[in-house]
Amino acid sequence: MLVTRRSILWTVLGLAVAIAILMWKPTILVYGIERAGLYAAVAIPMALVLGIVHIVNLSHGEFMMVAAYATYFSARALKIDPYLALLPVSLVMALFGYVVYRLTIRQALKAPELNQLILTFGIAIALSQTVNLLFTGQSWKMSLSYVSASMSIGAYDFGVYDFVFVAAAILLAVGLRLFLTRTKMGKAALAVGQNAKGAAIVGIDVDRTYAFVFALAVGLVGALGAMFLTKQAIFPGVGGPYTMKSFCLVAMAGVGNITGVLWGSLALGLAEASMNGVRELRDWSSIVFFVLIIATILVRSVKEKKA
Amino acid sequence: MNRLLSFALPLGCLALVVALPLFKDLAPAIAGPYPLSLARSIFIYMALAISWDMLFRSGQVSFGIAGFFGLGIYGSALSVLRLGMSPWLSILAAGLFAALVALLIGFVVLRLRAIYFSITTLALAEIFRIVLHNGGSFTGGPEGLFIPKIISSDNATLYWLALSGVVVALAASSWFERSKIRFALTAIRNNELQAKSSGIGIFKYLLVAFVVTSFVQGIVGGIQLQSYGSSSPDSAFDANYTLLPLAMALLGGVYSTVGPVIGAVLLGFAAETLKLRIPYGHLVVYGIIIVLVILFMPDGLYGLWRKRARARRSARIDARMAAKGASRG
Repeated sequence: MLVTRRSILWTVLGLAVAIAILMWKPTILVYGIERAGLYAAVAIPMALVLGIVHIVNLSHGEFMMVAAYATYFSARALKIDPYLALLPVSLVMALFGYVVYRLTIRQALKAPELNQLILTFGIAIALSQTVNLLFTGQSWKMSLSYVSASMSIGAYDFGVYDFVFVAAAILLAVGLRLFLTRTKMGKAALAVGQNAKGAAIVGIDVDRTYAFVFALAVGLVGALGAMFLTKQAIFPGVGGPYTMKSFCLVAMAGVGNITGVLWGSLALGLAEASMNGVRELRDWSSIVFFVLIIATILVRSVKEKKA
Repeated sequence: MNRLLSFALPLGCLALVVALPLFKDLAPAIAGPYPLSLARSIFIYMALAISWDMLFRSGQVSFGIAGFFGLGIYGSALSVLRLGMSPWLSILAAGLFAALVALLIGFVVLRLRAIYFSITTLALAEIFRIVLHNGGSFTGGPEGLFIPKIISSDNATLYWLALSGVVVALAASSWFERSKIRFALTAIRNNELQAKSSGIGIFKYLLVAFVVTSFVQGIVGGIQLQSYGSSSPDSAFDANYTLLPLAMALLGGVYSTVGPVIGAVLLGFAAETLKLRIPYGHLVVYGIIIVLVILFMPDGLYGLWRKRARARRSARIDARMAAKGASRG
């Protein structure tokens, strides 16, 4: 009863904020939702790894960055659209993720949490600096005509291309839900995530499941890297903030709560878009996220202590 | 004899290092301007590495070294420019400023553990950077601040200044190692619940460790400012000031004072040679070192050496016992 009352309260509050923004500057609502789509889509694979392999992967955003570079150079060499390279890049990234899992993560599964943390941090540095070594710190961008597609409603003009990220986020959320509840591998993964020992006892190959889930997550974030490239400039450090943002969203939602990731992204996206919409606050919009992450973490730790 | 050696050896080394600039005419290859400036940058990283390890002894991984280092840089610059403080005093002020900030946020942040603590320290460093970046003319904005005169243009003086940062870090670290703080931190790291039930004031010790390490990082930041003369948000809070000390401490061996020192010397020289050959991406080596050390050598070089020494000692004792047994039998 309490839960439903609270969820009603939140919905009402959310609607009120949305209406307020709509009255004030409608384009902010659109841009906020578009931003939220990207954040959620990147965060969901991280939630998958955290929920099942129980590893906080601090190299998450860097995998996306590597995929974006791979897409850029293959698309340029073959003169094809990045979307055509999406599937091959994603598969190659999945394989790469598998190799990284085998060589590093797997060895540290039983190590203290601190070691895992520093390990994935090291992987993140190694990835971004390898790219830096190969392609220097220069930034690269694709110029595609369709990304500037826009639409106007009444007096307001806004870009609509970024809704592909919203679509991707929803697709990922629904797809993962179906995968985890309907397929054999997904059910096994869910069981491993809940209790690895128990899963092993009933005959699930835990190690293979971990490897599969990690590779899947890297593959998914790889596909997003290809999409990311279509809109944004890429440089070696571009993935770092997405690691942080994903972690923040996953922490905010709590382990295993993908719907929560969607709502969190929406809040973050709208907050950033509103700050960007006001000239005086624009410089401060990058601080929103960091304040939000600390607030989230503090609230979570208080909640956990109570429970 | 052994005990005497264990005191004399580090002191002798320290004396040699201190006296290094005096040999500039005798041996310019190791005491000329270039080696001295290389040594200075190694000292800066070394002090940061030691301070990172001091907090790591309690089991908390800070990703925010650059944050407090940057606060030290700005603390020193602002107290010279806005308060008219003397440069020497401003270095102390930088340390105190960083310590004060650490004290205030420590009350909240130190309730967090594991990844939550680490990510929060990382986010705090970013927040400091953004605040100083957007601080308008008071903080110099994106261009940062220039102080009219650095503390000295003499290489030897700057060398000793950087070295004194290391000495502060060493002093703090050996205080941690020789007092009961060491037992408290180790107990917290090993099993917090057990430590708590044995009556250790966990929060108090964590706060002391956090404030002292931030003080050291602030001092080092002040030294950095006073020897280079400029501070900008991007250079003061450069992620390298988090990354390099962390890699140095891990490679050398964590939970000790000696480890970070060894690591800083090795990686400091390595970084310099690599930087000259590979302008972009030489940091990849640090990433790989972190990964390899965590996977294959979690105790670091010093830990490895210590383990081997212990094994050798126990083998010797075993052999002696066996010999005794044989002669008796």
